[in-house]
Amino acid sequence: MAQQEERRRFLKQSAVALGGLALGGGGYLVSCTPATNQPIPGSLLGPSFKAGHLLRTGLTVVPTQTEEIDVAVIGGGVSGLSAARWLSKHSRARVCLLELEDQTGGNSQSGQNAVSAYPWGAHYLPLPNLANRELLQFLEEARVITGYDAAGLPLYNEYHLCFDPEDRLFINGYWQEGLVPHWSVPQPDLEQIDRFLALMEEMKQAKGADGRFAFDIPLDSSSADAQFRQLDTLTMQEWLHQQNLTSEYLRWYVEYCCLDDFGATLEQTSAWAGIHYFAGRKAQAANSDPHRVLTWPQGNHWLAERLREQTGAEIRTGALVYNLELKEGKVLIDYLNLATNQATRLVANKCILATPQFVRERLVAKISKTAPKPAAQGFSYAPWLVANLTLKKVPNGKGTPLSWDNVIYGSRSLGYVYAQQQSVQAFPEKQVITFYYPLPDTTPAARQAVFTRKREEWTELVLQELEKAHPGIRREVEQADLWVWGHGMIRPTPGFIWGQERQKAAAPLDGKIVFAHSDLSGISIFEEAFYQGIKAAQQLLPV
Amino acid sequence: MRISVQALLLFSVFVVATCGLVYELVAGTLASYLLGDSVTQFSTIIGVYLFSMGIGSYLSRFFNRNLIGWFIQIEVLVALVGGFSSTLLFLLFDRVASFQIVLYLLVSLTGTLVGLEIPLIMRILEDRFEFKELVSKIFTFDYIGALLASVIFPLLLVPHLGLLRTSYFFGLLNAGVALWLCFYFSKEVRWMFFLRTACVVAIGALVTGFVLSDRILAFTESLSYADKIIYSVQSPYQKIVLTKNDREFRLFLNGNLQFSSADEYRYHEALVHPGLNSVPNPKKVLVLGGGDGLAVREVLRYPSVEKVVLVDLDQAVTELFKSHEVLLDLNQRALESAKVQIINTDAFQWLKNNREQFDFVVIDFPDPANYAIGKLYSNTFYKVLHQAIAPGGAAVIQATSPFVAPNSYWCVVNTLTSCGFVTMPYHAHVPSFGDWGFVLASPQKELQVNGQFMAQLRFLDGATFEQMRTFPKDMPARETEINKLNNQALVRYFEDEWAKYLN
Ligand SMILES: Cc1cc2nc3c(=O)[nH]c(=O)nc-3n(C[C@H](O)[C@H](O)[C@H](O)COP(=O)(O)OP(=O)(O)OC[C@H]3O[C@@H](n4cnc5c(N)ncnc54)[C@H](O)[C@@H]3O)c2cc1C
Repeated sequence: MAQQEERRRFLKQSAVALGGLALGGGGYLVSCTPATNQPIPGSLLGPSFKAGHLLRTGLTVVPTQTEEIDVAVIGGGVSGLSAARWLSKHSRARVCLLELEDQTGGNSQSGQNAVSAYPWGAHYLPLPNLANRELLQFLEEARVITGYDAAGLPLYNEYHLCFDPEDRLFINGYWQEGLVPHWSVPQPDLEQIDRFLALMEEMKQAKGADGRFAFDIPLDSSSADAQFRQLDTLTMQEWLHQQNLTSEYLRWYVEYCCLDDFGATLEQTSAWAGIHYFAGRKAQAANSDPHRVLTWPQGNHWLAERLREQTGAEIRTGALVYNLELKEGKVLIDYLNLATNQATRLVANKCILATPQFVRERLVAKISKTAPKPAAQGFSYAPWLVANLTLKKVPNGKGTPLSWDNVIYGSRSLGYVYAQQQSVQAFPEKQVITFYYPLPDTTPAARQAVFTRKREEWTELVLQELEKAHPGIRREVEQADLWVWGHGMIRPTPGFIWGQERQKAAAPLDGKIVFAHSDLSGISIFEEAFYQGIKAAQQLLPV
Repeated sequence: MRISVQALLLFSVFVVATCGLVYELVAGTLASYLLGDSVTQFSTIIGVYLFSMGIGSYLSRFFNRNLIGWFIQIEVLVALVGGFSSTLLFLLFDRVASFQIVLYLLVSLTGTLVGLEIPLIMRILEDRFEFKELVSKIFTFDYIGALLASVIFPLLLVPHLGLLRTSYFFGLLNAGVALWLCFYFSKEVRWMFFLRTACVVAIGALVTGFVLSDRILAFTESLSYADKIIYSVQSPYQKIVLTKNDREFRLFLNGNLQFSSADEYRYHEALVHPGLNSVPNPKKVLVLGGGDGLAVREVLRYPSVEKVVLVDLDQAVTELFKSHEVLLDLNQRALESAKVQIINTDAFQWLKNNREQFDFVVIDFPDPANYAIGKLYSNTFYKVLHQAIAPGGAAVIQATSPFVAPNSYWCVVNTLTSCGFVTMPYHAHVPSFGDWGFVLASPQKELQVNGQFMAQLRFLDGATFEQMRTFPKDMPARETEINKLNNQALVRYFEDEWAKYLN
């Protein structure tokens, strides 16, 4: 027996030695095999192109059909749904929600194939702060929170807490656990990273002279103390410099975070917003570490669906609102049914406009008697590419196995998220990953490319990024569906969050039209969209 | 500068001698490790090899003209046979019936070819040296080469290159000598074009083999098994291998031992009876994992049991245990019983959708060695399990070794407790596994194990079970984290503890 063991060990060792040496050869082989550029089937999608075109050229149809309603909500993203939900909880008003796409959700959209559901945009919600009562309440209703422990900490539904392993980073040829670079990172860089994280921990607890947290969510609850707000005048890049944080590893990591939450580079991000990413969240949970996220195969569309179920509003999809007017104390809302081309006028007492700023500019131009500005001032957007790939199998690599979030060091992409992470199934037959690629380049040529690039070119770009960590991955890909967001999310450029433009945009029009959209926060996250919806609804009440 | 022909040829002797001895060592090592009993294997391999060299030396007398040309051809052949033979042997090991014949044929062939080399070189050189000097020089280089080979083989080659690459590497040296000679004697030798092409083709083939040897290795699973493989199949989920020796059959899934026929009764009696024995009048039993039907065999000993549902992911396993004669004997055709319903699907998903309740549940999953399996030991899974147990019922969970992996074992116990189960930990000695742990869990009542066990059991009785419930001083209960889907604490414990134990 002992002899057999010994024998097996010997063979294993020599086999391992063999495997180790073979690696070089393996790489060599891969680079020698001609790239099998067989076309990969898939589709190129995006927000309704027809609607965008109609809005830009301007529609002049005067609807013959009219309907009366108490409140109209325009836009069925998280903010619009949240507003409609709040209204139905706190009033008996008849509410009608108009959404131009075929399904509600907006940026929290999802798709589905035979293998799995998958996100097209927002895909996770970090555990909310305990002070964010409204959000906790909603999560309770959606049974994401199943109760509270004796200490008052929420108990989360464990099917929705991100399964382990949560994240990994491909760095120096190895998948390390966690996203903060440490694998083969030189000591001086590690020290800088530690110093940075300690600073962020300090900022997390910091409070202003008004007793409020310096950084909070929703961000309107943050302290007004100038000591912190002045950070909004710097870029994140400048701030890092000021702190003498120059490590390239750290720089990459912080930029990755800014791209993740804002689609913006260090030079484009306000230091206040950049720090907010790390310091705004101070959650606690009874049955999870505080840094876990909540996630679902279909991403935040799952949450958007729970919101929708709670709205009680009549929801009309495929409904493009193209004209808004105020007349005799009523709001007139003209929309086109994109399927039938039938125009309808809603005559509402009040209206919530939950569309992005650039749509809103066009819609209210007539009322506020201003010419629609070509690009809403101060409001700047990051285009995004999202790709859902169906693979025979995500190739194994050295180190931590496939995790929920899989990031590649040095890549401008945000890596990919594994859509089936929350499945209890042990061995899925196929796998779907969602690849995120922000396009922060603002030069006209780059912006142009976003709209003209072909599906094959996008697919190639995605595969090349993935091959940095997974040589030969293209052989595994069976389907590649892509979605291009022309105006993915608002960017918190310096001066925007605590500047004039944002405040002005939030003011109601004539007490009849109020505004709700994450653009008004300057940071595009679920919590802000949810909050903007509630805030708008509260401005209208009682109705 | 032109190196003298003599020096070149003597260097060839050196290379050729080193290669020759390396092939011999490779063959001996392979035979002893693949077939076991290293003394016999090594000694017979060396005997056959030396004898074949003798045959080669004898045959050398039939080569009379164009000696350099012949020598080059023989070098190419040695390169190919020596280079590829270990790969061939690995690949054929669990696929041919008479592996020994192939092994000794290859050894004889290599030996014969190597045996031809030195006599031919001596004759090539006979006009260039005095006889006395010739013999002295040739054998000096021959034996230096042999020394070098026998020293670097165990110290450098096997640990760093492994067996397959070592063979290819020395094949390349042989082929290199051949090619070198081609250029040196390009004017003196006939069929030069043919010879050169042969050298180049051989070098190409050997380089390919060298580079691909890791992939080749992936096929040569036989490396991990001590005994003869009598059945081997790759299902969509795992590699299933059944091995046999004089005493026992063993089943491996992905290289991990599942049971040995010699002592599996200990494992399965310990798994099933303490729990099932204490559930009054059990009618419906659920078995999760355990597609081998061995737990089901034990369950079916209870006449009151009317229905057994077996959920196992892998149809290849349940089919194997319904069709292979040896295995049918072992599980007493349990899977063919009319009471047994087999469902091949993912256990967690199945249980989540299940609305039926069972009097007893046997959970016999593979060890939590990866995140996929770790989910099946999570508190979320146990909460679903809780719902599937009828009033008065119980469940038993195999829970790895409390001796080797105490954190892992007690993590399973503590996780069950955290889900509202009353638990009873116990362990048994199963020689092929070591000290193995189980947890009996009941949703509501204090567990009362009935000490009266069936008389026909081979291992378990009341007194033995009392002992099994005792955890000696060196393996007491301990606090651990609770295993959750969002921390996979168990997989981390398990990896850590078994890695330490195996190293
Ligand atoms: C690629 C990507 C990834 C993201 N990932 C995350 C994430 O992981 N976590 C997170 O919290 N946030 C994420 N976000 C941010 C996300 O934008 C917010 O979480 C949230 O979904 C924004 O909701 P909203 O209601 O403010 O805006 P939107 O989603 O933009 O909603 C506006 C809605 O109005 C509709 N509309 C526009 N014009 C009209 C019209 N004329 N008539 C009728 N309807 C109209 C639109 O179709 C849309 O449905 C991501 C965003 C993107 C682009």
